[in-house]
Amino acid sequence: MTFEVITSSLGQVGSTVLFILVGTILLEILIYLIMGKVLKSRYTLPAMLLGPGIVGLAALIVYPLLWELNLSFTNMSLRRFGDKAEYTWLVCQAADPAAINSWLFDCLLKNYADVFRLPVLKQVYFFPVFFRTILWTFINLVFHLLGGLGLAMLLNRPMRGRALYRTLLILPWAIPQVIAVLAWRGEFNFEYGFPNIMLTQIGLEPVKWLTDPTWNFIAMCMVNIWLGIPFMMVILLGGLQSISREYYEAAEIDGAGGWGQFRNITLPLLQPVMTPAIILGTIWTFNNFNVPFFINQFELETSDILVTALFRAAFQYNRYGFSAAFAFVIFIILLLYSIFYIHVTGTLKEVKL
Amino acid sequence: MAEMEPVNIILWTKEGEADGGLQFVQSLANAYTELHPNVTFEVVNKEVEALREDFQTAALAGTSPDLLWTVNDHAGPFTAAELIMPVDDLFDLSLYVDAALEAAKLDGKTWGVPIANGNHLMLLYNKSLIEEAPADTDALIAAATDLKAQDIVPLVWNQTEPFWLVPWLGGFGGKVFADDGVTPTLDTPEMVSTLQLLYDLKFKEEVYPAESDYDGSDTLFKEGKAAMIINGDWSLGGYADIFGDDLGVARIPKISGADWPRPYTAGTYFMIPSALEGSDRLATVVDFVKFATSANNQALMIAKLNRLPALKAALDDPLVTSSPILKGSADQMVVGTPMPTVLEMRCNWDAMKPEMQAVLNDTKTPEEAAAAMQQAADACILTLE
Repeated sequence: MTFEVITSSLGQVGSTVLFILVGTILLEILIYLIMGKVLKSRYTLPAMLLGPGIVGLAALIVYPLLWELNLSFTNMSLRRFGDKAEYTWLVCQAADPAAINSWLFDCLLKNYADVFRLPVLKQVYFFPVFFRTILWTFINLVFHLLGGLGLAMLLNRPMRGRALYRTLLILPWAIPQVIAVLAWRGEFNFEYGFPNIMLTQIGLEPVKWLTDPTWNFIAMCMVNIWLGIPFMMVILLGGLQSISREYYEAAEIDGAGGWGQFRNITLPLLQPVMTPAIILGTIWTFNNFNVPFFINQFELETSDILVTALFRAAFQYNRYGFSAAFAFVIFIILLLYSIFYIHVTGTLKEVKL
Repeated sequence: MAEMEPVNIILWTKEGEADGGLQFVQSLANAYTELHPNVTFEVVNKEVEALREDFQTAALAGTSPDLLWTVNDHAGPFTAAELIMPVDDLFDLSLYVDAALEAAKLDGKTWGVPIANGNHLMLLYNKSLIEEAPADTDALIAAATDLKAQDIVPLVWNQTEPFWLVPWLGGFGGKVFADDGVTPTLDTPEMVSTLQLLYDLKFKEEVYPAESDYDGSDTLFKEGKAAMIINGDWSLGGYADIFGDDLGVARIPKISGADWPRPYTAGTYFMIPSALEGSDRLATVVDFVKFATSANNQALMIAKLNRLPALKAALDDPLVTSSPILKGSADQMVVGTPMPTVLEMRCNWDAMKPEMQAVLNDTKTPEEAAAAMQQAADACILTLE
């Protein structure tokens, strides 16, 4: 039984593993012959050491990306499933010429144009989902940073039971995310969840956490803030502990108060730690699938962010070609954001040797 | 001997553990393994929609399971994508109930072997909380007032799936397709009346709770906190185990001023993935399907799960003719309506779902929701092409 499962699983990934193995061997031979024997380059060894990584990335990242790009130009759907899919510009040639206003947007880039022209789900269009995703990312990140920094500052001083506090605070991060989110979802039940029981105990109206669009969004944010603070806290605590006490002692002699010390010493010196954490945090939150998908038990389109909308468009509504284009639009947004952020903060300049 | 080669069959089923369905499927698999020690089974339970989505995805990746145990309307998307094979040449279909076969036919071919006939919703009630089922919606509202006074939830049902909405639509005389069977007709006065009724029963009469999905409803009913539930024949076995003679089965109450609600009827079916075409596993799968739908196993299913059989020979089983539960279930089927199988039905389901929820969350009026349903279904039909 288990042996069967293992062999069938191996059979499924076997071709990929084989490709990586054979590709690596071929590449190594090529590099060795061309760079080493013909060009006599001094970079032969580094290139050979990089070889397996290049092949692995090509098989696991570059190839799927190209496959997806190819898919985004097709009309793949349930009726045009798998190898029955055709390229949109080919379909276009057979269509009624009167219906085509622009060859670029109605034929070649039809799926990309449709991301902005048609609802991405049943009712919601791209931009409302996009702005909701930005709002979601912003709210979460602000709270992650404030909460994480606050707790890190509290922990960054000698006190009793520090290890215990730290363990307790890291707990949300340690629980498998899906399990934590599903436990929260149960607690948002209108009649039997603890927030509503507490609200009714103190005489307030219970809240429709799962069915009201606004409250459902707030519920998503609450869960994700709770989940995300530990990561920021640990990273920033590491950063704080690397700041030498001497700076603070010197500042005290110069008469700087607590706020002054925080602004002029702590924040600037935390910057190298904070920036990658912010970039990572933004991309993780922007692309967080589990929390919005599972807290949104009733599949409200008003609670979907870009990634969950993408999942639904592809796997619930079977708009494969469209969804591939949609995925690329999201990818490009994140790419531009990362380039912009790195450029503005100039963070990565420091690692130049 | 090819006969003795070890074979491992992966079977995906929509039967869940909560109502004993999954255990039944597993017991069939185990019984088959006892007869044929070389054949082992991996039985995987997937919720109905997840089964459809996952099967499509798995087929695309070339890792289909070997056999599906699912509902008839999956035949629409699966045949459109050519993911399952017709079963006409593999089985003697004359052994099965016509109505059940009819619901698995598309383009003149049959795409599933029926296991149970029905799969329809009905009203189930806990006799220790409410003596008899309300005959119509006025009686339902009256009963709800009494029950609420005793702090009992009157009625629960899955407020997330439009499968629970279509019976009421039928009661108002509405249909989701025009006469051609493929053009969505959702923005109709009947749909508006249906949504209005569901809205009124929730917000004006408070007959059902603010939120309830499938599992939530199921739990409330099982724990005796809710007096009535609208649920399908698949749940009968589980409830009969818990409540025994206290389980009442009746038609969904008649709409006062209109007609009986018409739940969709179909059944559960074995579907065979086209990936098995020409495979030596096909013979094993076919043999297992015959075994699972044999008269003996149909009788077991009737006894364990209280479902109406799909095999003609099992219809005369005394269990079918004498059990009050199955009588009630059969009585509800009389006013049922066959569930459409065409791929376009996906568009209807997907279009109805968010809008029905919007009405039940009080974020859209019935008129707005019906118009939005139509628009979404029409747009979806275009994306199918």
